[in-house]
Amino acid sequence: MIRVVLPAHLRTLAHVDGEVQLEVKGVATQRSILDALEARYPMLCGTIRDHVTQQRRPFIRFFACEQDWSNESPDTPLPELVATGVEPFLVVGAVAGG
Amino acid sequence: MTPPNPGTELSPQEIARYSRHLIMPEVALDGQKRLKAAKVLLIGAGGLGSPLGLYLAAAGVGRLGIVDFDVVDFSNLQRQVLHTTHDVGRRKLDSAAEHLHAINPEIEIETHEARISSANAMDLIRPYDIVIDGTDNFPTRYLVNDACVLLGKPNIYGSIFRFDGQASVFAPPAGPCYRCLFPEPPPPGLVPSCAEGGVLGILPGIIGCIQATEAIKLILGKGEPLIGRMLLFDALRMKFREIQVRRDPNCPLCGENPTITELIDYEQFCGIRGDEVSGPQLGSQWETTVEAVKARLDSGDDFDILDVRNPEEWQICHIAGAKLIPVADLPARVHELDSAREIAVHCKTGARSAKAVAFLREAGFRKIKNVRGGIIEWAHKIDPSMPTY
Ligand SMILES: [Zn+2]
Repeated sequence: MIRVVLPAHLRTLAHVDGEVQLEVKGVATQRSILDALEARYPMLCGTIRDHVTQQRRPFIRFFACEQDWSNESPDTPLPELVATGVEPFLVVGAVAGG
Repeated sequence: MTPPNPGTELSPQEIARYSRHLIMPEVALDGQKRLKAAKVLLIGAGGLGSPLGLYLAAAGVGRLGIVDFDVVDFSNLQRQVLHTTHDVGRRKLDSAAEHLHAINPEIEIETHEARISSANAMDLIRPYDIVIDGTDNFPTRYLVNDACVLLGKPNIYGSIFRFDGQASVFAPPAGPCYRCLFPEPPPPGLVPSCAEGGVLGILPGIIGCIQATEAIKLILGKGEPLIGRMLLFDALRMKFREIQVRRDPNCPLCGENPTITELIDYEQFCGIRGDEVSGPQLGSQWETTVEAVKARLDSGDDFDILDVRNPEEWQICHIAGAKLIPVADLPARVHELDSAREIAVHCKTGARSAKAVAFLREAGFRKIKNVRGGIIEWAHKIDPSMPTY
C-alpha cells in the first residue's frame, strides 16, 4: 500500500478527502505511482504530468521522506519507507492565496 | 540584517512594553533595539497581512511598511482580523494603520497605497530590510520574488488555500527562490483562488504567524530560519510536514546564468489576458443579460436556466427554477440537458458559465447563452434581497 498526498485542488478534482492509498504493481517509482494514480483517477491525467510528454508540470513538485524527487529519474526506486506506506509520496502544487 | 544604529535607544515606556522580550537571552536589549531599527515591508493587508501586522507591530518592529490598494469588505472579516465591522468600506491601509497604532504607538507605520507592479516594486521594496509576501495571486507572487532577488532582500513567503498552507523563506544564495521551486505558474483557472475556492478563516492566522516568527528571527539573527525548507500545513489533519527545497542552478533568476535581470510583465508571464478573468470570449450571440432573463421569466417564456456553480454556492442563493450542474460535472452530466431547448447558463460572475457555454457549444448545443455578470449581477440588478458572497 502506497500513500499519496495530493494538493487541495487535485483532491477536489478527484473527489477524495484525505490521502489516496494505492496498490502499485512492481517497484515503487514515481512513474509507477503516478500511473496507478491516473488509472484510478483518470481526471488527474494532465494535471500532474503533461498529457503528451509525461513530464512533471512546472508548478508541481514531488517529495518523499522530506527530500525533493522532482528532478530524479521517474524510474528510480523510491525510499523503502514510501514503498511500504510508512511515509507518503507528496505531490506539492503551487498555491497563491493570501 | 542591518545592526541597530548605535543611537537606537529604548524609552522607559518601551522597556516596560517589551519586558517579556528583554528578559529572554535570545532577544534582550540588543535584540529589541534590532527590532526597533528594522524596516519590514508587508505586501498586502489581507488574510496573511493581518496577523503579520498585528504581531510585528506588537513586537516593536520599528518601521512597518504596508502596501495595499483594497477596501475592507464584509467578506474579508472572517479572516482579516486587522479590520473590524466598523471598517467596512474604508481603505485597508487606513484601518490597518489605525489598529496597529492603537496596539503600538511607538512604531512607524508607512502606508503605500498602490497595486504593486513592475513599475513601482523596486522603489517600494528598496528601503526595507525584509519583505513579507501576503499577496493573493500568482503574478504578484512572481513579481515580489523577482524584485526581492534582484534587490537581495529576503522574502518571507506564505500561501494558503482552503485548509492547506505553505511557508518558507526565500533568500538566495542561502536557499532557493520561488522560481527555483515553481519555474512557471499553473495556467489560469487550474488552481482556484481563495475567492473562488474558499479558505478556512484561521489558516492565514497560522501561516501569517509563522511568517512573522521568521521575520523576527531574521532580524534578531537567532535560530534556524526556514531557508531551504518549506513547511506544509494541513489543518484538516492538523499536520505539519517539512520538505527540503533546493536552489536550481538553472533558475532563470537566481541561477548561474540568469536570463531575468529586470522585472517583466507578470500578467503576461502568468498567461492572464483580459478574457481569462471573465472566461472565454464567446461573441454576443452567445450572451445574454440578467435583465433579458428576468423579462423572459416575467413574460412566461419557455426556457431553461442552468446554474454551473458548486452546491455550496447554490445553498447561499439561487434563481428559482434553475437546474444545478457544477461546471466540473458537466461533461459527465451533459445528457441531462436538452439541446433542443433554449438554455441560459449562469455562475457567480460569468467566467465559469462562459466555459460551460463554450463546452456545450462544442457538444452541439446551439440555443445556449451565457448570462453576463452571473448571479451577483442578478442580485444587484434584479433581486437586491438575495444574499451574495
Ligand atoms: Zn531561483
